[in-house]
Amino acid sequence: MHTGSRHSMDFDPDSQDSAELPEDRAQHWVACVQKVAEQQDTAAFRELFNHFSPMVKSFAYKVPSLDHPDTFAEELLQETMLKVWTKAASFDPKLASPSTWIFTIARNMRIDLLRKQARHVVNTVSLYQDDEDGEMDLEDIWFEDENSDVFNLLAQQRSRRQIHESLKHLPSEQTEVLAKFIWKTNPMPKSPLNCGCRLEP
Amino acid sequence: MVKYHPDARFLTDYAAGSLPSSQALCVATHLHYCAGCRLRVGELTELGAELFMQQRPATIAAGEFDRLLKRVAAQPAAGVKPGPAANDHSVTILPRALYKLTNGNTERLKWQRVGRKFRYSSLNVGDSTRETTLLDIKAGGKVPQHRHQGDEITVIIKGSFSDQEGKYGVGDFIVRTRGEIHQPVASQDQDCLCLTTLDAPIVMSNWFMRFGMKLLNRRHSRPGKAA
Repeated sequence: MHTGSRHSMDFDPDSQDSAELPEDRAQHWVACVQKVAEQQDTAAFRELFNHFSPMVKSFAYKVPSLDHPDTFAEELLQETMLKVWTKAASFDPKLASPSTWIFTIARNMRIDLLRKQARHVVNTVSLYQDDEDGEMDLEDIWFEDENSDVFNLLAQQRSRRQIHESLKHLPSEQTEVLAKFIWKTNPMPKSPLNCGCRLEP
Repeated sequence: MVKYHPDARFLTDYAAGSLPSSQALCVATHLHYCAGCRLRVGELTELGAELFMQQRPATIAAGEFDRLLKRVAAQPAAGVKPGPAANDHSVTILPRALYKLTNGNTERLKWQRVGRKFRYSSLNVGDSTRETTLLDIKAGGKVPQHRHQGDEITVIIKGSFSDQEGKYGVGDFIVRTRGEIHQPVASQDQDCLCLTTLDAPIVMSNWFMRFGMKLLNRRHSRPGKAA
């Protein structure tokens, strides 16, 4: 079992030096998700939790300028894993790998939580009277269900393998930097006038 | 044939979840029409997932799982979502977000008319810093001339229009930066429906009305207000 070394700095069972590819381990996580969906199996859910929640939390901490990073990280973790539980039945292994599926849930939840926070800040001075009920569903903008194009899935698996191979050779600090760069968010709005500026020129 | 696509920057930010909702809606709308960009977004999402899994793991406090289990006990695992496949691009004529918003019928929206050939409807994507609007331009009609402060993105859903830079059709993702002035004209043979988003300094929320008054020869102008 890998749980003993879960929190060591550079060890990641999914990218160890052996020839084992992420998709080999993926079968195990697929089985766990299916057990959750079909039997509400909490032992399988715990395995998923142990494997994926350190990544969800790490992802949460990459949001810059949070007022309460620990609170945000906890909330993102709880809401993401809760969604994994409730959406387990809709996970289709023919469309995506478990890590991609969970990553997109975490990604979309992050957007959702940040939007809720922004609404709190902006509401008192908003010109547009943000109507939560009238708001477009984030799931219609960022689709959680993967593409149904079959050739797309094969291409995805191929590119995942290539990405995995090339990232394996980067020191972990560099992948951390790359991740921070890709996951930069817009600064939290202070007023309607100066929000939403892209960080890059 | 879709000719104009979001660039790598837009696609990467979309796949990473770093794009503001209004701009992301434009990308998502374009994806409805463009398999090539869907493939690219798929690859970028795989990159995101791989980076996600290769992060330095954060520590999880004892008891976090138990707290989660308590919440889980309060609800059963949900069944499979019914309805059309999320990305079944052939099923609906409208891109998914707009289809859901209008139940397939754009007449359900609240439209503001400006002149005979132009009307618009504001959309709520939870981003009060931007105007996100559907534009409905009758054949041969013009979008009122305007300036904008930041990027303006337009995606064509039905019909086509041209401006001094080119001619655009269904699915095209068109970006105009600050300072660019342009006046799109819908083609003569059919009406044009498009989605547009732009940064919203307060003054811009009135530009439709301002030019609308001009178009209507100040029939509705208020005393002391110049067009």
